[in-house]
Amino acid sequence: MSRPDWFVLALTLLVMIAYGLYKGRATKDLEGYFLSNRAVPWYMVLLGIMGTQASAVTFLSAPGQAYTDGMRFVQYYFGLPLAMVVLCISFVPVFHRLKVFTAYEYLEQRFDGKTRTLTSFLFLLQRGLSTGISISAPSIILSSLLGWNIVWTNIFMGGLLIIYTVTGGAKAVAYTQQLQMIIIFSGMTIAAYIVVHRLPAGVGLSEILHMGGKAGKLNIITTGFENKGKGFDWNDKYNLLSGTIGGFFLALSYFGTDQSQVGRYLTARSLSESRLGLLLNGLVKVPMQFLILLIGVMVFAFYKYNPEPIFFNKSQITVLEHSKYKDSLAIVTAQYNALEQRRLGGDPVGDGKEVYKATVRRWLDNIGGDSNDTNYIFLRFVTDYLPKGLVGLLIAVIFLAAWGSISATLNSLSSCTIIDFHKRFSKGVSVSREYRLSRLYTFFWGAFCVAVAQLAYNLGNSLIEAVNVLGSLFYGVILGIFLVAFYRKRVGGQAVFVSAVIIEIGVVVLGVLIQKKVVGLSFLWLNVIGAAGVVLLSELLNPFLCKRVPSSPQRPG
Amino acid sequence: MDEERVPLFKKWSYWYALVIGFLAVCIALFYLLTKHFA
Repeated sequence: MSRPDWFVLALTLLVMIAYGLYKGRATKDLEGYFLSNRAVPWYMVLLGIMGTQASAVTFLSAPGQAYTDGMRFVQYYFGLPLAMVVLCISFVPVFHRLKVFTAYEYLEQRFDGKTRTLTSFLFLLQRGLSTGISISAPSIILSSLLGWNIVWTNIFMGGLLIIYTVTGGAKAVAYTQQLQMIIIFSGMTIAAYIVVHRLPAGVGLSEILHMGGKAGKLNIITTGFENKGKGFDWNDKYNLLSGTIGGFFLALSYFGTDQSQVGRYLTARSLSESRLGLLLNGLVKVPMQFLILLIGVMVFAFYKYNPEPIFFNKSQITVLEHSKYKDSLAIVTAQYNALEQRRLGGDPVGDGKEVYKATVRRWLDNIGGDSNDTNYIFLRFVTDYLPKGLVGLLIAVIFLAAWGSISATLNSLSSCTIIDFHKRFSKGVSVSREYRLSRLYTFFWGAFCVAVAQLAYNLGNSLIEAVNVLGSLFYGVILGIFLVAFYRKRVGGQAVFVSAVIIEIGVVVLGVLIQKKVVGLSFLWLNVIGAAGVVLLSELLNPFLCKRVPSSPQRPG
Repeated sequence: MDEERVPLFKKWSYWYALVIGFLAVCIALFYLLTKHFA
């Protein structure tokens, strides 16, 4: 990176920390620290919800995903608006009426203490680990592409935000997310403009869409029945059915039972503002994701007129240059470059370049390297073609996207630790001590997540893939518990607790079988299986385990 | 009460219909785009 890029990057990050510290001051009790005194307006709730969901990988991977696999990834979000409606009808009014700090508090009132403890524990376990991965994933990409030290990249990616999150709590999180989202959208818009601007004269959006369509990149709607005669493809993650049904359960679980999201809309100053934030998220999420994917198609069109690298991840090429394939790589690269020059000169070259690309991928597989360069496509374009200063801004966008998501999660991990565990099991804690402990727990979870990020890097990609599916292993069961709580009023705590433990074990076993390719099923369906399993099994067990019919939840004293 | 004040519309159910309807329109447009540029 050039000096102007470093300057823009450092300035953006410093401004963000200073803004967080400034906006988060004067927060001295739990209500202020975790819920911003329930005074946040709807537009900040909206930006908070969006900023928490969109991690750095969202902006790195999605354009690359469209470049390689087409735009069908957008279907993954079709269940989200439906989930927003269900949340506004069922979940949000209850959380607001009971004035809970965490979603799991409600479960103690509806069922019992152990169900609350189990659910909160499952959340802390999967969120703590997956947040470490959400630090690690963009750090690996940046360190690979820019040659940065991975330890320092992890610390900058997951550590600097701790400064304002520990000090300012939910208020600092809300205000910084607002600014982060503005910078992120500006950066992505500028990147999209530059892609189109650098295309030859006469090539506009219509030509881009035609090019993308011809190459199969505009496969926005797929049914899962594309392989004729083979029926529905249960392995396919992104189609209309799995995106709508699986995506609905995933979104319902994530936004309704994950404290990192529940904590955002509980900060709203009224039930109406919570609902408005969620419903507007339901309106804008699908078009927003469509536009991010469209950037990937634009980059695809850009490389039709410009030389495309044989492999987008530079660091893996360096690895090959130091392997037994060193000489072969030099020959293949020279032949590939010559072919690219002929293609750009107008000669028809057919699938020739794909053969060279596949060869490089095969060599990387043979030496245990990373043969998937999807996550590197967009950032490689940014570093190779964006003007000085803007590269720094786009790198800052990656950091800010990570910070927005991680800071909200640290705040929620801390709130669950103190509200669902510390306060319940150690009585008589003063308000000032509660506040100090909350800051301490926020710091602890921040350090824990950075440590997990470091561990994930050391253990390689397999762990990253495994931990990335953690959400699907736990979300379904947690959602099942909440669905029983809201919709099956006859079912008691003992039945739901036993069902949740049994189904959780079953889902983890099924997840392992899927990972080992014994069972052919997309991970998205685990959310449906987990939720439906808890609801059905608790209904079956309830007559045998129910001691009393629980009453409607009351407001805590 | 503030909780009962619905912005823009008379009832929240209109908001729900808007969100679901907008999703349906998006899916229809995406389908047309897919078919047109295939």
